[in-house]
Formats: sequence, C-alpha cells, structure tokens
Amino acid sequence: MAQKPIEGEKKVFMTGNEAVAWAALAAGADIMYGYPITPQNEIMHYWTRLAPKYGRKFLQTEDEISAGFTAVGGVLAGRRAFTATAGPGNILMQESMCMAEMMRLPTVLVVTQRGGPSTATVIYSQQEVTMTCYGGNGEGFRIVYSTAGQQDLFDYTLKAFDVAWKYRFPTFVLGDGYQAKMREPLVIYDPEVRGVTITPSEPYMAKSGKPGVDRPPTHLRNTYNMEEELLAAVNELANAYAQMAPQVVESQEFETEDAEVVILAHGVVSRAAQGAVKVLRSQGYRVGHFRPITLRPFPDEAIKRVAEKSRRLFLVESSQAQFRKLVTDSLYGVSTPLTSYLKPGEGITVDEVVAEVKKLF
Amino acid sequence: MAKGAKIAIAGEGGQGVQSVAGILSEAAYDEGFEALYIPNFGVEQRGGVSVAYVQISDEPIGSPKFKIADIVVALSDRAVHRTKKYVGPNTVFVYDADIKGVDGALPKNAAKVLAIPAIRVAKEELHPRVFNVIIMGAVIGATKVVDIDVAKKALTKKFGYKFEQDPSLRDLNYKALERGYELVQG
Repeated sequence: MAQKPIEGEKKVFMTGNEAVAWAALAAGADIMYGYPITPQNEIMHYWTRLAPKYGRKFLQTEDEISAGFTAVGGVLAGRRAFTATAGPGNILMQESMCMAEMMRLPTVLVVTQRGGPSTATVIYSQQEVTMTCYGGNGEGFRIVYSTAGQQDLFDYTLKAFDVAWKYRFPTFVLGDGYQAKMREPLVIYDPEVRGVTITPSEPYMAKSGKPGVDRPPTHLRNTYNMEEELLAAVNELANAYAQMAPQVVESQEFETEDAEVVILAHGVVSRAAQGAVKVLRSQGYRVGHFRPITLRPFPDEAIKRVAEKSRRLFLVESSQAQFRKLVTDSLYGVSTPLTSYLKPGEGITVDEVVAEVKKLF
Repeated sequence: MAKGAKIAIAGEGGQGVQSVAGILSEAAYDEGFEALYIPNFGVEQRGGVSVAYVQISDEPIGSPKFKIADIVVALSDRAVHRTKKYVGPNTVFVYDADIKGVDGALPKNAAKVLAIPAIRVAKEELHPRVFNVIIMGAVIGATKVVDIDVAKKALTKKFGYKFEQDPSLRDLNYKALERGYELVQG
C-alpha cells in the first residue's frame, strides 16, 4: 500500500477541480475514466498528475459514452471507479448512468455544470439539474449532492464514494464551472482522522467461488422480456430508493425559525442567499434561507415544514426553473406564495438577492 | 462593513492578468483573509479578453463574481469596454495611459479614473516581463488590501526558484511592485 495521499488534515487554497481530485484520492478511488470537457478538465489533469504517485490509474476514453460505460465496467470488476464531465458530456453519460440505475451499480460522477442548451458557455450554470436528477430513460433513482464551494466539493465527493457503494445507486456530485475554476480556502483531510468511513467496494461480476454452490449467482439485468417483469423490477428499485432516501437526504437552514420570507436556493447560489440573509437581517428584515443539499432524494419534509410557516417563498436559481420544478413538486398542497428570480446561465450576487427580496416587504 | 476589496483585472491574453490575480489572492489568504479568485474564460483558445475577479474579505465570501468592483484595472482597449460595467460610484477605475482611443469609452460614474503608464514603465524603466507585477503593485497601492511586504513574500513563494537562479530577478520584481504601487498614489 502506497502512502496516504493526505496525512491528517491541512488547510489549502485551491480550485474545486483540484479539491475533487484530492477527495477522490482520499476516498480510495482506484481509477478515473474520463474524456476532456471544460470546465471539468482539471479534475482529470490533477488526477493524472497525482494518481500514479499513489498507485491509482487513469484511462482516457474516446468519448463520454465510453467514459461512462468503462466506469460502470470498472465498478462491475470491483474497482472504485469514477468519472467527471459537464454539459454535452453529461448528456452522453446518461445512457451508462441509466444502466447503473437499472443494475443497482454504484457509480460516482462529478458534474461541473456549464451553460446550455448545447455548447453554450463553458463558464457556469445550474442548467444540468433536471438531467443529473432525472436524465435518461430512467426514474431518477439516483443520489445527487448539490455543492456550494470547495469545502463541499471535498466533503461530498468523499461522501459520494461512501453512499454509492453503501446503497448501490448512481451518485452525482453536482458542482458548476464557478466552483470548478475558482480558488478559495478549504481543509482537506484523511477521512480516517475525521472518523469518516467509506464503504468498501467489491466485485459484482466474476466473484470467486462457484455460483449457486459457494455463493448466490450474480444476475444483473437491464433487459426484460415481459412488461410485468419490468414493472416488478422497477417497483423493487422504487422501494429500495424510498428506504434509502431518509438515510441520505440532507438540507440546511439559515435563520428560518421566525422568517417571514424564506429564500430557496441550491448549490453556489446558496452563498448569495446566505449573504443576503445576513445583510437583510442586519437591516431588520425577517428573512431566512433553505438549501437542499441533496436534490435527489429531495428534502420534502424539511422544505414543507419551512414553507408552511413562512409568509412567502423567494426562489432564485441560474436556470429557467429546473430547481423550481423540484420545489413545486415537493410542495404540492402547500399554499405559501412563491416568487422566482431566474437567470439561466448567469451568476447571482448577494446584492441582487437583497434588492429582490426587499420588494416582497 | 467588512474589510477587503472586490477587484476586477482585465487585459489581453498573455498580459499576465490571471497570474496577478492568483498571486494576490493567495497572498491575502496567507495573511489570514478570506480570499476568492475566479478567472473568466470563454471558448476561445487564444485572442480573448482575459478577466480575473478577486475578492478579499475578513468575512466569508458570497458569490464568486460581483456586479460592482472597488477597483477595476483595464489593460487594453477591449478590456476598457469590457469592464466599465463593473464600475459604480465608489469604484476606482485604473487603465493604462498608452491605450489609445478609449477616452470616450471611459466610465463617467467612477469615484476616480486613473491613467497609469504601466506599459511604458515596464518597457523603458524595467522589463516587459514584469509588466504584470507593476499591475499587481498598482492594485495593492489602490486597495491597500495587503501590505507590500506580504506581496513580496508571495512573489518569492511563486518565483523563489527563479530568484535563486538569478538574484537580479528578485530586485527587478520588487522594484516593479514598488513602482506599480507608486503609480496609483497622489
């Protein structure tokens, strides 16, 4: 065993892409399969620079379809494999991620959202929410963490490697181009020193022993002959997902207790919301902020509790209502009025949120 | 009010805008400040306007980008056009005195508009290679967000191996930093 990538813990000043590479190393990832796309590239670059020092591997494939499927193949063989992509690459990886969904395979995919539709910008957006949560011809049996900065990227990449293998659902770390490219301080650490455990990986195919004699036979299917068979299989997935959800779901609240207006935001936009709460509170406005950390499973109970006791909800996102769809679906039956501020593909600042929220008083 | 600054630096690719921003933000971080630096990048491989956004604060930093900067530095005509939207009534707008034909494009709403001969000083007094270090000195001089000695330490951290090979480079860089600092005074 080579030395540990991170001894103890240390404070660093780095980009999100670098933080993801370190987290994957610290989580014991064996191999990254990848194909270049901005703003994800440096995850690959840092990984290829660091991985050989710790006996880890990298394979650049011919495209993202292949990167997704080779990652699934690595997982089947028992490797802690992962990949990362953005935008059009995320589209191409949906097929393999759907296969993982159907076969209950753990995968870790880090997404650095860029602008869309199509090539659009390489800078930033929150326009890959629907695709990451519900992409492909699937039912969204996935775990999606929406991160808000470098510390989150490190913490939740570690966590993704744990929950993916623990619950066997495709797991996504949903970042964005801002987080990918910006530099800010964070603490990176050896998971052991923080008591963070990571579920070990195991081969799902070609296990040792004689199938049916020494061990139950492995039977992973993504093809069915009868519609009744499929219904039963999908129901089974849905049940397993529902059982897993309460163990995984995460959200954060900021001054929601007595808030008249609650700002709903996820990912990096949550930082603008947190800043706005601070400013508005200092000026006497009773404003709070609710941030889902998992977009799948969505924190239905927590958001309902907050929504029901506030006078108005203010939703802000860098997309044309992809996050709002998750929210309104979750809040069906709650009558609190909701105002939205939608900026597809553009960043949102504290000042803007402050100005918009003031209009509601 | 939090202590710190929002800084936008823009220029042509190759003018060293991003490395100035990187060194400056890391210097502030080393001094115990919260710091966030993000480059702007388009799909072009070369030939675009390069913009760097730096925020330094004694409080956690919200959004990575901002609408209005405390200081804007524009190092080419295209950069002037591109960055004047970051100017508000409290903004100091610094541009290079050798940029021609931008008088009409200069922001009218800035607290102060300052033309500095950085390109000329680099070429005639020092060395074109330290142009961006002059700019770094100017940013520090205009914001006072970190001490000039801290900036020297950061330069040494970044270029220490080069300084060791050729000690005259250390003097050249320090000189450039100091000259930049002076250019925005008075």
